[in-house]
Amino acid sequence: MKDTPGKRRWIKMRGSADQLDWCLIGFSLIGGMLVLLPLLALLNITIGQLADIPFLISIATQKQVIDSILLTFGAGLVAVIILVIFGTPLSYVLARTQSRFNQVVESLIDLPLVLPHTVAGLMVYILFMQRGLIGAPLKEMGIVFEDAFLGIVVAMLFVAMPFYVNTVREGFQKVPLHMENVARTLGATRLQAFCFIVLPSSIRHIFNGCILAWGRAISEFAAVIMIAYYPMIISTLIYYRFTTSGIKESSAVAFVMIVACFAVFLILRSLTRYLGRYDDRV
Amino acid sequence: MIEFDRVSIALGDFLLDEVSLSIQKGDYYFIMGPSGAGKTIILEAISGLLVPDSGRILQDGKDVRGIPPEKRRIGLVYQDYSLFPHMTVEKNIAFGMKMRRLPALEIGHQVNTLMKQFEITHLACRAPLTLSGGEQQRVAIARALAIDPELLLLDEPLSALDPITRDRFIEELRSIHRDQGLTIVHVTHDRRDATSLGTRMAMIIDGRLAQEDRVDTIFASPCSERVARFIGFENILKGTVISCEDGLCMVDIGKNRVAVMAGAKPASRIALCIRADDITVLKHDGNKTSARNNFDGTIIQKTISGSLALLSIDIGVEITAVVTTKSVEELAFDTGTPVCVSFKATAVHVLPPQVPETRNLTT
Repeated sequence: MKDTPGKRRWIKMRGSADQLDWCLIGFSLIGGMLVLLPLLALLNITIGQLADIPFLISIATQKQVIDSILLTFGAGLVAVIILVIFGTPLSYVLARTQSRFNQVVESLIDLPLVLPHTVAGLMVYILFMQRGLIGAPLKEMGIVFEDAFLGIVVAMLFVAMPFYVNTVREGFQKVPLHMENVARTLGATRLQAFCFIVLPSSIRHIFNGCILAWGRAISEFAAVIMIAYYPMIISTLIYYRFTTSGIKESSAVAFVMIVACFAVFLILRSLTRYLGRYDDRV
Repeated sequence: MIEFDRVSIALGDFLLDEVSLSIQKGDYYFIMGPSGAGKTIILEAISGLLVPDSGRILQDGKDVRGIPPEKRRIGLVYQDYSLFPHMTVEKNIAFGMKMRRLPALEIGHQVNTLMKQFEITHLACRAPLTLSGGEQQRVAIARALAIDPELLLLDEPLSALDPITRDRFIEELRSIHRDQGLTIVHVTHDRRDATSLGTRMAMIIDGRLAQEDRVDTIFASPCSERVARFIGFENILKGTVISCEDGLCMVDIGKNRVAVMAGAKPASRIALCIRADDITVLKHDGNKTSARNNFDGTIIQKTISGSLALLSIDIGVEITAVVTTKSVEELAFDTGTPVCVSFKATAVHVLPPQVPETRNLTT
């Protein structure tokens, strides 16, 4: 790690060993309380699970659990791919234009952020159910959303949308307009300037948007069960086991999910650590 | 080669107001004016990034409305250089040629020639953000020249450079203009840039064209008080013409009368512009110079900066003069010292009578 100027090395003021920065110490103590919450929760469930490893392994190897985790990750991935395809152009338009419509569109995109998830789920359901505005005509073509993979995907898409669009829009806004202008004068069309200059310069934001949206998608429960209780995504499975088999089994499934998520995020972060960083001094 | 015919562009609160310019082939054309005057907007309009709300922009006599920037072959270098951070120096320079689908062999050859010309060959594989300001500057210009532009637009290219790099760069720009015969439009608010490089210039103030002419003409005879102030006339004195004979006018500036070379009607209000370094300051001992204008006064302020000193002198009105720090010491000039101030009648630039202000008749 490089030292950023202004960032203190822990609590000691630079250059003097015995002058403590009481403000930072105080803030750390107060802030530490907050960190304690997830830490305790994590330790608590981990210790509980590690006490009975054979049982944990038997749960982790259940076909239903593995299928459910793969289904959740897969549906989240499909939702993210759809977001990349449709959300990226939208983010660019929002980043580069200023009109009254922008505010309207931005509020619409942000809607899932402020809605209770059951409300979001209900909205998705009545739109995509077999008698719904979109569900009915698509049913004619043989595409069904209720209790189907596609139902999970649209619910995830709906709640994850603001995370992707807002992050990527921010990234596009950070690409100086001057850079695009120069590219234009050098002979690039607007589309070429977008593809060769704007996209690569904001690749980090796009990636972060994907991770955030994916994380949001796989964590959704309420919105998903409204339209698709089956096939069971992991949240549904944990809730189902919790209500039918009790704490021990459901927390074992939960722990397997925690480990899987950790692994995936860790791999993604380390793979993309240097993605889109251009200012490291040689 | 580029002509603005009453071009107006509104951008937020800013308005570029019916600006007409004419940039000829081979010009080193300066656009000068205070910050926020609309200089960059003019560059963006020339390159086609902004489209006029009204008026026409002509390139080689043809209206270029509707021709996108990528089809115009006009190089643009912004003040912040705007290098592409995700491409190496080499790829930055090659970008324009790639967009124009030149064969790879030619691109490589051209990039090498440009890197050699700008002495950046050793930086070929570096990322732009790891370069110094001066180096980024060279890359930006090389990149703009790579498309073999008909016109090069520079937006305050020298303002972020240290003095030594800056002087070198002025020489480089001079040689690009002279040796390659390239037409250059250069935006600045620094008058030194214009006097050392420019052939013609436009003064833009508050979104309007204040004056357009040869650089030396504008610097010798600005057309208005604001232009005069901007190009460095430290003294602008308001006065009333008393008499005028054979091109020699006597002008009343309060306590004193000044002789100037001009033709003006008696009783007309005019403004006199005098550069601080055209004013001679002598010790007050009764000796007069041969100059027509000699006034007694008192030093009211002394500011020393390096080898020059700026004196504010009260001669009934306050005027500013520049003398060497050495003579300040030798002649013991200080606040309160009585001095004799003189300047030649020919050193005074007379601004034409101003449009009379609307007077409130009831008072």
